[in-house]
Amino acid sequence: MSSKYKVLIVEDEKNICHLIGALLEADGYQTVPARDFANGKMLYFSHRPDLIILDLGLPDGDGMDLLREIRKDSLVPVIVLSARADESDKVEALDLGANDYVTKPFSSAELMARVRSALRTAARYSGTALSPDGTFTRDDLLIDYGARRVFIDQSEIKLTHTEFDILSYLSRCSGKVVTYSAIIKEIWGYSDSGSVKKLQVNMANMRKKLGAKPGKKNYIENELGIGYRM
Amino acid sequence: MKKIPKFLTDAAVTLFLLAACFILCLLVQTVSGAHALIPAIFILGTFLTALATDGYFYGILSALASVLIFEFVFELPYFSLNFTITDNLVTSIIMIVISCITCTLTTKIKKQDTLKSQSEMEKMRADLLRAVSHDLRTPLTTIYGASSAMLEDGGGLSAAQKQKMLQSIREDAAWLTRMVENLLSITRLDGTNVKIIKTSTVLDEFLDAALIKFHKRYPEQEVAVELPDAFITIQMDALLIEQVVINILENAVCHAKGMSILSLKVSVLSGKAVFEISDNGCGIEKERLKTLFTGYFQTENLPPDSRRSNAGIGLSVCAAIIRAHGGTITARNLESGGALFCFTLNTEETAHEQ
Repeated sequence: MSSKYKVLIVEDEKNICHLIGALLEADGYQTVPARDFANGKMLYFSHRPDLIILDLGLPDGDGMDLLREIRKDSLVPVIVLSARADESDKVEALDLGANDYVTKPFSSAELMARVRSALRTAARYSGTALSPDGTFTRDDLLIDYGARRVFIDQSEIKLTHTEFDILSYLSRCSGKVVTYSAIIKEIWGYSDSGSVKKLQVNMANMRKKLGAKPGKKNYIENELGIGYRM
Repeated sequence: MKKIPKFLTDAAVTLFLLAACFILCLLVQTVSGAHALIPAIFILGTFLTALATDGYFYGILSALASVLIFEFVFELPYFSLNFTITDNLVTSIIMIVISCITCTLTTKIKKQDTLKSQSEMEKMRADLLRAVSHDLRTPLTTIYGASSAMLEDGGGLSAAQKQKMLQSIREDAAWLTRMVENLLSITRLDGTNVKIIKTSTVLDEFLDAALIKFHKRYPEQEVAVELPDAFITIQMDALLIEQVVINILENAVCHAKGMSILSLKVSVLSGKAVFEISDNGCGIEKERLKTLFTGYFQTENLPPDSRRSNAGIGLSVCAAIIRAHGGTITARNLESGGALFCFTLNTEETAHEQ
């Protein structure tokens, strides 16, 4: 089937590589495994995959460099695999243009959800991009970009100008983790150490207005120390 | 205090002690004329210098300076260095030798002290490793055994049996994951060079992330959350504190028999965020309460199944993490039944800006 999504898996651990391959193939994806940096790069250019799952620790090079080279070439969605403690790596990878990260060990359901979400985001970016006066819906939340209005269950939520800008930016990137610095650059156009707090205060106010409850399913997920995901 | 380089404080100590000795000697000389006391005073000064400073350098420096001052000021002929007089030379040599030996001895004692605390740390680590390796073996046995049984199965296993084996593989792998997380935290907290990275974290974002992780593991377990309305940030290593919250919640799920309500309440009291996690289960045995946060090494005395809950190491890790953040952690039984775990962290001063 030519409509099958092609996924490049760059992962040096044989078992993990097989596992991810099996999971994806069971869900109808076509997979291309690469076990090191050089192979990953070569197979990327020869296969032109629709999605890349990239482990950062490779035997013959830094996965971050591979990400850089891929981003110079295209906007193909990239999901980074990382170990638990590498918070700074996650931020760096996201700022370099990775779409998402999955922390090892991961469950199959989690990985597959991230894959679907990354492919959805990519489809939206390429073909059916949202028109500026379009709308966004998620469950009972509705964002009207043109009128700059937000509704939950049809009753309007009053957001400030900045809050609306943040929400609309996050919704346009939905499915993707957006780092603090990316949001700040988008909303205020500059970035300094104080602006993260400014962003967090805005987010806290917005959460209250959107009726978010800690630990429940909310519209916006907190990626501590990294950013937000809608 | 820490910002001043060590060599500067050492030099200051040396100078101060020399000056003190000098003044004391002057007093002794003018008041009582007890000349014999003077070398003793200088040797005492050198000894104290060696104790208070690092290495040999300052002790020997102090010894040489003492000899020169002694010869120059307090020995006849006054205000000249005359080592040709045999008495003076001998006194000087004896002073230097005594001072050098004192320096060597004090340095040796200090070295032995650090070695001793290091070996205690080593012993603790070895104990922990032994206990943990023992604990790791059981889930590995299940995983290895169940997976090979299924691979080598000639058709004898029923579908239900296979399902059960797969389930135990997953359960034990999940347990191993949590154990490894706790071990990783311990290595990060190990010893003097604590590698925690504190960042300013928003309280409700933190609780949201922690509870979502907890719900992933225990989807059935509701947690009643109560937190202040204000915008509160705390300097913390969010991954580690998240682990504290999850470990305590998990402890309640595994041990609080008969629990129907699990609640997490955060309040702010004079610059401190107080986290209280309480349940209405069976409470904690009095004997366990005493060693709850340190008791991992006594796991042999516990019934064998309590090991599986990961509680021993979990709570010890909690205590280590909170201590490294400069907070406190306590546990007690509630009069109304159930247990209350409480830990505190300092909140950040926040300027409210929009």
